[in-house]
Formats: sequence, structure tokens, C-alpha cells
Amino acid sequence: MLELLTQPLAEPFFVRALVAIALCSATCACLGAYVVLRRMAFVSTALTHSILPGVISALLLGFSPYLGALAAALLTAAGAAWLAARRGTTEDSAVGVMLSVMFAAGVALMQQANSWRDFAGLLFGSVVSVGREDLVVIGVTAAIVLFGLRVLHKELELASFDEEYAALLGARPALMRVVLLVLVALGSVACVRLVGALLTTALFVIPAATGVLLGRTVPQVMAWGVGCALAGGIGGLYLSYYLPAVPSGAGIVLCCALPYLAARIFAPRR
Amino acid sequence: MSRVIDTLSRHLGETLFSVLPSIPYAQKEKAGCPGIAVATKQLSAAARLDGPVAFADATFEIPCGCRTALIGPNGSGKSTLLRVLAGLTPIRSGEALVAGESPRLGRSRIAYLAQRPHLAELFPLKLRRLVQMGTYAHHGWFEECQHGDEAIDLALTRLGLTGLAERPVHTLSGGQLQRALIARAVVQGAELLLLDEPYAALDQASREIVDRFLFEQSHAFTVVMATHDPADLSRFDRILEMRDGTIITRHACSGHDHRHA
Repeated sequence: MLELLTQPLAEPFFVRALVAIALCSATCACLGAYVVLRRMAFVSTALTHSILPGVISALLLGFSPYLGALAAALLTAAGAAWLAARRGTTEDSAVGVMLSVMFAAGVALMQQANSWRDFAGLLFGSVVSVGREDLVVIGVTAAIVLFGLRVLHKELELASFDEEYAALLGARPALMRVVLLVLVALGSVACVRLVGALLTTALFVIPAATGVLLGRTVPQVMAWGVGCALAGGIGGLYLSYYLPAVPSGAGIVLCCALPYLAARIFAPRR
Repeated sequence: MSRVIDTLSRHLGETLFSVLPSIPYAQKEKAGCPGIAVATKQLSAAARLDGPVAFADATFEIPCGCRTALIGPNGSGKSTLLRVLAGLTPIRSGEALVAGESPRLGRSRIAYLAQRPHLAELFPLKLRRLVQMGTYAHHGWFEECQHGDEAIDLALTRLGLTGLAERPVHTLSGGQLQRALIARAVVQGAELLLLDEPYAALDQASREIVDRFLFEQSHAFTVVMATHDPADLSRFDRILEMRDGTIITRHACSGHDHRHA
């Protein structure tokens, strides 16, 4: 039995995948706490989906796909904010417009660039193909995101809980929103290797939703979320190792949903 | 589990915050009330940016320590006036000064209680942490709030919340939440309390606690309270009536250094 667990560890790609999962779990679950508590799930979906046109244009123009992805995610956030600032468009529909436009642009570019097959990893993730450079990018991003969340913890918590009071004290709730969007864009770019542009939002939402069921303070929500993401990530990786029919990205998301279900059923009623 | 996380988080935080600079949210303010707590000159404002003017040409002064009632029918602009004084709603024209300065700067000496506070639902926060948020006014960016426990305990006791300190905020009743928000203003050390119909959500017990706090204790803060209760008015030093889009002062506070016994 133990062999089943230790045997894959001999493979370098598997260890790299585990490290990537650990870093992404911490990043996504901690950020996800704010995404869920502030009801930003839809915005995070838009940001992660817009990575597709970003990466493809970067490949076409010949610069780093990570930079392309980040630029596209930030463009989506800025575009949605700009549209929502005009009268007659709610933030919800502004995000919807940006999401569909960016994703459609991605699909159009995909035809230009090459065949569909080459982009399967981008759409659905392939944690087993994570290389050394990817790990560096993921590590640096995780460090930036976690540092930002820790340093601005009390301001983010205040702005998320009581925006008016934050404004009254001069703690800049609008700026905190921008900071969070930038961090979510960074986090999505780092995690797109794990589960793909279509499913990255699951890493923000599912672990944090589990955390909200179990935690009574924001740090507790984050901690439970990290636990859930780690369990799901590692479980999904082993699942796809022994059942090659299950792609790793889908396996990770499905395994993350199990702790959520358990928490949903067994969490004490509050 | 949660204790381990809290300890870890605290140790990590201490190291991190010891190397970061600390920047106050708002510019430094002089302590103490300079005589006039609130002064407006031909003030007009609207509830919404592109909406109609709620009141116009309002000129009045409120001395420090004065308990002021703000009365008038629904839609007469009471809430808008309070929000302007809190710096949350922009001024259309004219001038409003709180302790001689613009309220829009982000001010630790102003506390504002909305009629229906817009708080995030189901937010994982304990009552004690909510009250602690009042101390943020004296800290600022990149600073942890490890101190202020005594002030928090005192405020909790004064508003009858001691037994509820560890309760999640979303399990509190309307009256308990209202008292918690007042406790936060106390911890903040606010000198001007702007209250928008604070009694609407309160039962008799909560109301008595808040009343005792606002009217019987002898600390020198200024209160401006929107209210609909005509029986209440005798307890106030001054009544501002809002009618037909402007403000009429009904009777004024006596001295500048007004205190209650």
C-alpha cells in the first residue's frame, strides 16, 4: 500500500508537480478566501479565462507566455472596471462582456496559431509537464501573493467586511480592490499550468468555500482552504498517475470537491 | 488547530512588520475639539452622484460636546447630511468643516453609524475583532494592532457586550451589532458621533445601554443623531430640523464647553 504512494516519488516530474501543487495551493486558497468572501468568483473566472488569448498572442509575438497571460488578465480587470464605471452597465455584466470577448479572441487566435491539440495543456492544464522554469515562476508568484496578503491583512479584511468604515478611516477600500484583482491575476497566471485556463477558478473558489464552512476567522478560513487544496491537489495527482484516463487538471479539481462536500455535510451548523 | 495557526501567523507577522515602515491612513490630526465641532456654510449635497440635491444652502454650527438631534420627514436629507459630515458623500457646493478640517481626508475623530450598515454577510469575524478595527485609526498601513486590549475590554463592558466577545458577528442580533459598532467608535476614540436612527434596530434593553452611554456619561464627545422619536427630543441640547430641502435650527446649545453632569 505504502509503495503505491512512494513509487511515483522516484520520478522527477512527479516531485516537481508536487512542489507546484503545494505552492499553488497556498497561493490560491489564501487569495480565494477574499475571492469568496467578497463574491468575486465571477471576476476571477474572467481573469483566468483571459489567460488564453494572452498566452497565444505571446507565443505568436515571441515573448514569455507568462507575461502575455498576466497582461491579458490585467487588461480584463481594467476593461471590466472601465465598463462598470459608465452608467447603465452593472459590474456583473461588464465582467461578462470582458470574459466572453477575451475568450472569443483566444479561440480566434488559436485558429491563427496552430491546431487545437497544441493548446490542450493551456486549456485543461498539465501539471506533470511542469519544468524548472515554471517552478521558479510559481514560487516567485506565491511569494509575492502571500507577502501582499500578510502585509495588507488588516486593510483587506476591513475593506472586505465594512467598506464604508475603511473609507471613513482613509484605508482606501477602492485601492484594496485593485490590489486584490492584481494578486488574483498573478495567482491565476501561476496556477494555469496545474488545471488550465478553464478550471483555474476552481482552485480559488472550492478550497476557500470549504474554508468558509469551517473557519471562524479569516486566517482560519485560509488555513482550512490550504488544507483542502493540498489534499485535492495531491489526491488528483496520484489519481491521474494511476488512472491515465483522468487528466491531472480534472483530477485535481474533482479531488478538491470531495473535502468541500464533506465539509458541506458535516460542518457544524452556524 | 486554530491556536497553532494564530501563533504561527503572529510570529511571522512580528518579523515581517518589524522591517516595514508604518504610514498613517490620514494626515496627523490635532487632538481635542477646537470649540466648534461642525461648521457648514451654504452646504448642498445629493444622495447619489447624479441624483437631485437632497438639501441646499444649509448653514449651521455645532459646538463641541453638544448633543444634537436631526429631525425631519423621510427623504428630507438627514442621512445625506450625516454622510457628508462623515466624508462618505461628496459636497455639491458650499463648505463643511469638522473640527476645522475637511471631513473627506479620512478622519480618526469621526465615527458614523449607518441606519442599515453595509457589512459583508457571513464574514468570518468575531465581535472582538470588529471592535478592534477601531484601533486601526491610530495605526495605519503596515502596522499590526497587537495592543489596545484594555480599551477594547472597557468599551465591551460599557456597552454590555463582554459575554459576546468571541461570538461570530453574523450571529449577533441587530441590537447587539449596533452596540458593537458603537463600541468600535469608542475604541477609535471618535470625538464626533454621527448616528443615523440608531434606535431603529434596538430593543428596550439595548436602547437603555446606548442611552446611558450617549446621554448620561460625562465624556466630551459631540453627537449628531437623526431621529424620528418626538419623545426623545428633550434630552438633546440642540435640534436641527430639515424641511423643504434646507435646515432650520430650533434651539441652540449654550456654551462651547458644554458637558453633561
